[in-house]
Amino acid sequence: MKKIAKLLGMGVGAYAVLFAVFFFDLDGKFLFYVFEPFVKKHYDNMERKDMTQMPYDMNKYPDYKYDEV
Amino acid sequence: MSMIKDFWYGKPHTAEEGGRRLGNNYEPKTGLYKHREWRGVKDTFYYFNNIWLYNYINLVMDVMKFGGLLSFVQGLWRYRWIGQTYVPVLHWFDRGLEGMRGETLRASAWHYRAMVSASVYQIQTMFNADTKIRGGKKNDDYYHTFAMKETTWGGLFYGWSDKFKAVSMEMIPYFVTCHVNSHTVHNYIDAVQSIGLPGDPCPMCQAESGLFVLDDLPDYSPLVITCNEACDGSIATAILQDWFIDKPLYALQMPMQFDNDLANAFVAKDIEKCWKFIEEQTGVPMNFDLMCECIERQNEIQKFEWEKWEVAAKTNNYPINGVAQALYRIYSSQFGDLPIWHETDAKVRPIMEKCVSKNINTFPNTRHRVIAWSCAPLYYSNWCTWAYNCWGLNVIMNMDSLMFDMTIRTDSYENCLEDCATYHMWAPMRRMAVGGMHHIFELWDYMERFNCDFVMMYDQLQCKGMQGVHGLFEDEFRDRNIPAIWMPHALPDSRTVSRAEIRRIVNDYMTTVMHEEPLDPSLLELDDDMTW
Repeated sequence: MKKIAKLLGMGVGAYAVLFAVFFFDLDGKFLFYVFEPFVKKHYDNMERKDMTQMPYDMNKYPDYKYDEV
Repeated sequence: MSMIKDFWYGKPHTAEEGGRRLGNNYEPKTGLYKHREWRGVKDTFYYFNNIWLYNYINLVMDVMKFGGLLSFVQGLWRYRWIGQTYVPVLHWFDRGLEGMRGETLRASAWHYRAMVSASVYQIQTMFNADTKIRGGKKNDDYYHTFAMKETTWGGLFYGWSDKFKAVSMEMIPYFVTCHVNSHTVHNYIDAVQSIGLPGDPCPMCQAESGLFVLDDLPDYSPLVITCNEACDGSIATAILQDWFIDKPLYALQMPMQFDNDLANAFVAKDIEKCWKFIEEQTGVPMNFDLMCECIERQNEIQKFEWEKWEVAAKTNNYPINGVAQALYRIYSSQFGDLPIWHETDAKVRPIMEKCVSKNINTFPNTRHRVIAWSCAPLYYSNWCTWAYNCWGLNVIMNMDSLMFDMTIRTDSYENCLEDCATYHMWAPMRRMAVGGMHHIFELWDYMERFNCDFVMMYDQLQCKGMQGVHGLFEDEFRDRNIPAIWMPHALPDSRTVSRAEIRRIVNDYMTTVMHEEPLDPSLLELDDDMTW
């Protein structure tokens, strides 16, 4: 019985905490002030392939015209 | 006593009744909430349980269902558009559903849920097959996924849907990002300009190309289908894509004219050539019976859409707000059939039927029934939620929802192909916006059909097609004595015309031309420059 009451109490507590996160937009604030700046920094510093160095070989593949269709 | 009533039912909408002053909930600049809206006990807990919690949980469930956490995290670490954009997705719900109550809140939220699920499906399909997060290794999924341009209707690939998945290249990395977090797309626009593209072409084409310039698109398919939809701006995108993708590529060709037997025959033939290309590349023939099966399912979605339009047109009981209607419709009709659309329609139908049978006025503070015409600002698609809350401007219908206004016949191969060609030609931004004067002027018929008395005329500053008919519309509005607001914007780029500027234009019109008072004055001026 005690165990059930404890579990129930924990459930109610977790629900209340989640409601506080929801109501005070704590998820939004975390994502805006912490998560987004962190990932942005990561993406800004990522090494990226210089795509403009790729040759544009227009004759590499056939024309795929299928005039017989 | 009034405090208890406000706590139980939520504050009333209008300033005269005390007012809920939604603008006071925001923190300055960021658009974050000091606290989320209190909608009364029932609706606040509905929002918390059935929207906020439900969607966070289902987001994770969808990630697991469509491919697993590992590939999602790998993709998140590799691609800017996923990490920066999609994690704050619940704020997208908040912005679109602000001020909504009762059945409107419920029905509109289901539409958002469907779009999130369809997005996760596409994200995970790309990541499951992506060679870039697997050190260049091509797995089985890679060989069973098609990549196509986002303006290509997904239904063209139904004939392979038992063995292959078709995911467009830009819908998730570009189009949907602009609605959820408008900051991400700036990187791609700037990237393509950094290699010499001038700043004035269509920003959609710029952003789509920029994804490739920054090497920020998964490599998930051995073949690519491009298309010149919606206009010749997309031809330039396809050229850059051909350069950067460097794979067998079939370029679907769309004549700029339609409503013409020759054009229809040309497109039908071109679709067949595209199918031939896929058969040749994959070694798997197109299964016409399967194609018909999927089309029949898609037709079911269209039939329910028509029922929704009937309710929207003829009653005050339509429970879907302007932004949910517009985004869900364009998403589902362009992507093609998915189980989530049917699940959503099955949930929305009883809500709508309840509203009709009990004659629930779903937008009780409507002052004007608005039709929104031309292409919308992607970074401020939720302007209609703001406009209803602030001014009572209720967006009943929009141009993008009306494009694919047809079912497709499956009684014979010829009829099916002919209808597929028509459907494909009625693609986003093309059927009306650049489809010729007759079609862009369908506005007057639709105004009457949907019983609208007000037009929100989108003014995409970088769309050369629409700029060409600006004056003609001005004349028509004057001759027909129709109140219309021109809403300037640059499609995905929030830096050209800010949200605050859009609101200022609407506010000015409503006060100086319409001589009306705002329903919620706290929403007139907002500093949300940094918001997602």
